[in-house]
Amino acid sequence: MPISAYIAAVARSATTSDSFNAIAEQKRRAILTALIAGEKPVGAIVSDLALSQSQVSKHLRVLSEVGLVRSRAEGRSRLYRLEPAQLQPLSDWLAMFEKAVNGRLDRVDDYLQELQEQGETK
Amino acid sequence: MTTTRRGTAVIEFPSDLEILITREFEAPIQLVFDVFTKPEHVRKHFPPFGEEMAECSIDLRVGGDYHYVMVTDDGTAMSFRGTFMEIEPPTRIVDTWIFDGWPGTEAVETVELHESDGVTKMTWRLTFRDQAGRDHMTKFDGIEASFDNVEDYLRTLLEPEARHG
Repeated sequence: MPISAYIAAVARSATTSDSFNAIAEQKRRAILTALIAGEKPVGAIVSDLALSQSQVSKHLRVLSEVGLVRSRAEGRSRLYRLEPAQLQPLSDWLAMFEKAVNGRLDRVDDYLQELQEQGETK
Repeated sequence: MTTTRRGTAVIEFPSDLEILITREFEAPIQLVFDVFTKPEHVRKHFPPFGEEMAECSIDLRVGGDYHYVMVTDDGTAMSFRGTFMEIEPPTRIVDTWIFDGWPGTEAVETVELHESDGVTKMTWRLTFRDQAGRDHMTKFDGIEASFDNVEDYLRTLLEPEARHG
């Protein structure tokens, strides 16, 4: 009953790589989470997460490249903010996985109803 | 009798190696068991777009094999096979599965059925042998994060956004 492999094959047909790869790294997710509260300079992220300045800068660069964060200059510092619109592909994938599972099981359900209706009319 | 349970599957990720799906069906347990284990039934509900199954063999005994082959519109054959490890009709089946598209990936699938007041609840647990196996299911090319992390994470991020409109 390889129900699941099949579902996965269907769900995987819709993969998009950039945002997925960007959030694959745990520290980058931590940075995004830190930015939920609002716009922050690099220094605030560094102290929130206890990471080195160079690590944070490196990850912010990756996140900026895929558009998950945007930055702007203010005086001498640079402020970073979350750009949640770029999470849409991930959200879409999750929805697709759920849809594939439900599609599979709804078909079984329909078929079961069909069989029982046939049984009742005999 | 009409179906009112469309879209009600509950999907959980209890550990890095497991996927757990639960779903209820308005049908007696023996019928649900048959629909998942007899080729004449599987042929009717397995293909998503009414395709023909090129092969659908099920040797329903411990140590017996099953093999499903479905051909998609573009001519690609998708082949799934495995071996039954435990069979306790109509409540429990444990089998392995291998999808030929993912060489080296093997999973163990445990399906349990329980009937109460004419409603059969299916608990379908999929356990991958190793992380690489589950990654096939829940990750994207090259990605390192496990799906449960991504899922939790998405909810965290999307919920504040939804509140702000």
